[in-house]
Amino acid sequence: MRKRALIATVALVVLVVAVGLSLAIGARSIDPGTVWHAIFSFDPSDPEQLIVRDLRVSRTVIGVLAGAALAIAGALMQSLTRNPFADPGLLGINAGASLAVVISLTLGIGGFAAQVPMAFIGAGIAAVIVYAIGARGAAAGAPVRLALAGVALATLVTSITYAVLLVDDATLEQYRLWVAGSLTGRSADDVTALVPIVLVAIAAALLVSRQLEAVALGEDTARALGISVGATRVIVIVVVTLLAASATAAAGPIIFVGLAVPHLARALVGASLPWLLIVSGLGGAALVLVCDVIGRVIAPPSEIGVGITTAFIGGLIFALMARRMKVVEL
Amino acid sequence: MRSLRIGPFGITTHRRTFVVGLILLGVLLALLIFALVVGKANIGFLDSMRAAIGISVGSPGDFIVGQVRAPRALTTILVGGMLGVSGAILQSLTRNPLASPDFIGISAGAGTGAVLTMWLTSGTSLWVTAAGAAVGGLTAAFLMLVLSWRRGIVPLRLILTGIGIGFVAQAATQYTLTRMDVHEAGSALAWLVGSTTGSTWTHVKVAAAVLAVLLPVILWHARALRTMEMGDDTAKALGIHVNRSRAILAVCSVLLAAAATAVTGPIGFIALVAPALAVRITRGPGVTLIPAALLGAVLLLVADQASQLMPATLQFPVGIFTAVVGAPYLLWLVWRSSRGGQA
Repeated sequence: MRKRALIATVALVVLVVAVGLSLAIGARSIDPGTVWHAIFSFDPSDPEQLIVRDLRVSRTVIGVLAGAALAIAGALMQSLTRNPFADPGLLGINAGASLAVVISLTLGIGGFAAQVPMAFIGAGIAAVIVYAIGARGAAAGAPVRLALAGVALATLVTSITYAVLLVDDATLEQYRLWVAGSLTGRSADDVTALVPIVLVAIAAALLVSRQLEAVALGEDTARALGISVGATRVIVIVVVTLLAASATAAAGPIIFVGLAVPHLARALVGASLPWLLIVSGLGGAALVLVCDVIGRVIAPPSEIGVGITTAFIGGLIFALMARRMKVVEL
Repeated sequence: MRSLRIGPFGITTHRRTFVVGLILLGVLLALLIFALVVGKANIGFLDSMRAAIGISVGSPGDFIVGQVRAPRALTTILVGGMLGVSGAILQSLTRNPLASPDFIGISAGAGTGAVLTMWLTSGTSLWVTAAGAAVGGLTAAFLMLVLSWRRGIVPLRLILTGIGIGFVAQAATQYTLTRMDVHEAGSALAWLVGSTTGSTWTHVKVAAAVLAVLLPVILWHARALRTMEMGDDTAKALGIHVNRSRAILAVCSVLLAAAATAVTGPIGFIALVAPALAVRITRGPGVTLIPAALLGAVLLLVADQASQLMPATLQFPVGIFTAVVGAPYLLWLVWRSSRGGQA
């Protein structure tokens, strides 16, 4: 318990440092003192403080939101499907949200307010399909099988997305920037609307985590403990959908955060799901911010979208995870 | 069983497999004729046939059949066959009906190579783009082998590693797309979904050359492939160099998939569906390379014709067609295999 609390504290400190980096580093480096003043004693006449307030704060909030949401969604999926390779990006849930957003762009339903519900619908449909396949049967989805199901679903959804884009140049222009997973595409007001949704979903995840832990031990065990297996699963899928869709709507499809972070967290805090969710959430937020900062400085003067950085790093982590697994576990 | 002997080469084949192969060949020929004759421009049957084999029949048949329909149909057939064989080898080596080069990063790597080439050369020459795709596919395959090598290759680890490599490659592709201007990005996207539109005789030559080199090598090792399905120990006892044969076959499979991607862009699901269907139809005891190739060609040609016959607003590249039909099939396969059968 004390060790876990300590690890959670360390994760929190790492996140705070990452937030600091995200506020200070960019095309124009701003010293920590100015960042401090911009937030706590704002002076509108200072251009550097304006940069921090107008650009970097909203960007950082989106990063924290998306990172925490994706990492927690990944941890929940892994527990629900009893499969270490579950990740909302890998399993096509983010792709479902993307397709829905592209359709709304094509239909000319502009505006963030209309896109978010669409993203929820798309993500929800994808989540149900992938769960139905991944968690079927007593063996509960071998990693390879679930990963392939996710890739198949993502390929299908991406093909349909491409079909829509091929007939609509204007949407393509918006899409190709958004799909790279950028934290800069949304205004602060848009994101504020997502904050309560994500917070409620995270709270629900923590509340249901003990029940989910019991279900993961086996349906019979859970029933013997008086837990409703079906209700727990439905709640978890709804929470995963809310988290993945919010993250996708805010930052574009970001992949692998939900895979890599819970893995690392599990190695640190063990199997206790509530702690796993807390540490994953903090770590995911920190990872996305760090990836975003890397993307800002690696190829000046342009920036690399955070989705590209995470897919690059995450894809390699995924391959190395596969390398480390024993043959029987595959 | 039935034996075919041509000089020193002998193929022993299951009787039903042989009959199915003949029927598929007939179907393929019929489809080819259909593809050459039927289209928006109305060119007579005999004129179409003559123009297709290079006998001049005058305008417009010479151009429409000789330069548009014939290369497109032949490219489609060759690429379909390449994908079918590539998938059949991979599924046999991994003993897993879910394995397919389009999901283990080879097509994705080829896509990255092609888009990078389009960006660097402003997409002037299809030939250069195709070379870039081949380099990308081979690079992905090489990375996959290096990363999954742990005192030999375990097929399932190879698949998972490949999925990871595929995501890295897609990230690189997406990044390149954001750097291109919107018109270039549009044509890159059209290539990335896999399309046979605009195939020329150059495409046919590339595909035919690759097949001509690789197919004999593959058929030479076909017996080893079939024997290895019974287990490594059995294969060794029967005098097969298991590791060497496996390495050669895996490299051939990768090269076929990369070359197919180089020619048409990544066309999904044919490599997955054709071998699985071939095993089902032939009810053979194991892997069936020739029927898989024929079936791949038939399926891709059907998909290509269907995509051409759609109304103008729905004329999508054939890659989208195969994905929309093939993805539910893969999901069904996974769903079914989770009912307790093997994955």
